[in-house]
Amino acid sequence: MHEFLAQLINGVSLGGIYALVAIGYTMVYGIVELINFAHGDVYTLGSFIALAIFGALGVSGELHGVPLVVDVTLTLVGAAVCCGLIGMMIERLAYRRLRNAPRLAPLITAIGVSFILENVMQAWKGAAPLPFPAAVPNPQLTLGPLQITTQQLVVVGLAIVSMIALHLFVNRTRTGRAMRAVAQDRQAASLMGVNVDATIAITFLVAGMLAGTAGFVSGVYYQSTWFLNGFGAGLKAFTAAVLGGIGNLPGAMLGGFLIGIIESFATWKLGGQWSNVTVFAILILVLVFRPSGLLGEQVPEKV
Amino acid sequence: MRFFRSLACVAAAFVCAASMAACSSSGSGSANVIKLGVDLPLSGADASVGRSTLNGVLLAADEANKKGLPGGFTLQVTQLDDAVQGIHSPQQGVANVKTFVADPSVLAVIGPYNSNVAAAEIPVTNAAGLAQISPSAVSDGLTLGDDASALRRANPSQNAFFRVCTTDSRQGAAAATFALQRGFKKAYIIDDNETYGLDLANVFETNFQRAGGTVLGHDHIAKNTQDFKSLLTKVAGTNPDVIFYGGTTSTGAGLIRQQMFDVGMGHVAFMGGDGIPDIATVAGPRADGTFYTVAAPNAEKLPSAQAFVKAYAAKYNEPIGPYSANAYAAAQVAVAAIAHAIVLNGNKIPSRAQVLAQVAKTSNVQTPIGAISFDANGDVKEPVLSLYTVQNGKPSFIDQLNLKE
Repeated sequence: MHEFLAQLINGVSLGGIYALVAIGYTMVYGIVELINFAHGDVYTLGSFIALAIFGALGVSGELHGVPLVVDVTLTLVGAAVCCGLIGMMIERLAYRRLRNAPRLAPLITAIGVSFILENVMQAWKGAAPLPFPAAVPNPQLTLGPLQITTQQLVVVGLAIVSMIALHLFVNRTRTGRAMRAVAQDRQAASLMGVNVDATIAITFLVAGMLAGTAGFVSGVYYQSTWFLNGFGAGLKAFTAAVLGGIGNLPGAMLGGFLIGIIESFATWKLGGQWSNVTVFAILILVLVFRPSGLLGEQVPEKV
Repeated sequence: MRFFRSLACVAAAFVCAASMAACSSSGSGSANVIKLGVDLPLSGADASVGRSTLNGVLLAADEANKKGLPGGFTLQVTQLDDAVQGIHSPQQGVANVKTFVADPSVLAVIGPYNSNVAAAEIPVTNAAGLAQISPSAVSDGLTLGDDASALRRANPSQNAFFRVCTTDSRQGAAAATFALQRGFKKAYIIDDNETYGLDLANVFETNFQRAGGTVLGHDHIAKNTQDFKSLLTKVAGTNPDVIFYGGTTSTGAGLIRQQMFDVGMGHVAFMGGDGIPDIATVAGPRADGTFYTVAAPNAEKLPSAQAFVKAYAAKYNEPIGPYSANAYAAAQVAVAAIAHAIVLNGNKIPSRAQVLAQVAKTSNVQTPIGAISFDANGDVKEPVLSLYTVQNGKPSFIDQLNLKE
């Protein structure tokens, strides 16, 4: 029982990062029906940018007090904003012209953008895994026999808060309404005076900001990053988005947590080499028996 | 090993390698020149270790020329880089070795550094009957078993590949001995499911159990895994004295060592082979307490190597690299064989076959890493392995082990 709970905690905190990335996949798919394979690499780019900002601020060891709040906020916001802008730029340069092309064209472009980002990161910081400064203190909380680190709580909390904030943004704001309109019918929305290009750009901005946040969080949590991390994490997050029902925001979060937990339990019970096999076997089963995903059919919102 | 590293130094390394190549190509074509081909990764991730290995060969060639070869021949080193876009490339290695084969004055090849490059090159040197000596390629299959037979298919009766380092299987065996010597009785084994890592882990497991240790479990990890907390939570439940990892820093060693602290196993020892000497680049201060084996003696500690260590420092103004002494020894073996072959051929330039025959007969050639004799497979008869630990982020030598056949 004790180990079960410990593994559950491992899985949920891993799932929190997947969820943050999965929300980006699902938002973009919801609005332009594009699986943005470059999204995983934007996530890794977030951790690279965070590393660069930490370097510029001279952060190398653990921070306390005011510098902790200031440096972490600057780094988090910096990584999120940069990734948001990069996401927008990718949309503008690589996807916008292909919006009315056959579906396969932007998909392949997305894979190309993914390779470009990976190689840019390799050229920038090298091909070796990079250490991340242990800037954020990580006290352990003991609950009976269980140990939870504060960072694990922050990861999960951040995923839930981001999801709720996005839910409100999409449902309660004018921009959100425009996003839903574009998702439902681009031409009709355009005829009603919605600026389709701007709305899609904002979607990419928000998705990129979430990826940047996730990149920062993963860097702090694992204290390392690597230019190829986005490939594996992106595939898992995409799986999470499909599992939850692609295009569905709460579904992406649910899927993220489920994938994290499944991976954790598969490693525990079946061995590490089976974790990916299990995750993707479940993806296949979902696609065969419930193609719309776990929450795909009631579709409370589509963005 | 050490697949990926900073690309920042690529440009610099490239310029260096190019200028060295330019230097060595001048003055060729003389009838009295015998060439030693060197194939190493001289740019990219392996550049620092590749260059310090090349320096070992250059030093040996210099000394041979000072002493003079029989017949008045001059030895010339001609080196080619097998790294492409920063990573050692088997294809580039093959192209380089073909260049050497095409140059009739090349009588022996030193290199390559990496096992996968060696596996690609061996069929070429085997078909050409060109003697090749690697300072560092450790994979068993290069000289042993069916894999080695397959590499020699062009010329099955003849072996042209030799190495002065030892093999993975001996490394795994030595690691098991070292672990028990340090009082680690219960081990949990993890590997990265790749050729090198899996082999190393399996050999460790067999030898550790045979010598009386307990193996609590053996897990393989999936490629591109970033989160090892689930695996380590499971491992923590078995309460091991040591976690043995088969693989390299970038396939998981760095992250596993780091995350051991997150699940309360920071005090447990972590051990691996020659794939993890750079573990501190990923695990940072948490790398302390890591043990690893290297398939070579620590030349700085060997009495027989002191003259070499001094000469190297005097010439290159830096301490020797991990495989400099091995490269120097490999070149010494090649020079000795070439000298014998010249004499046997009446002080005329010998054929490649004559040089190869002499390399195969190598017996008791005195080198900084001990007296070298090759067995029929091309392996050294008395391999020496060293154990290191990481202290304050730096490697610290502990002990070495002499494994006789």
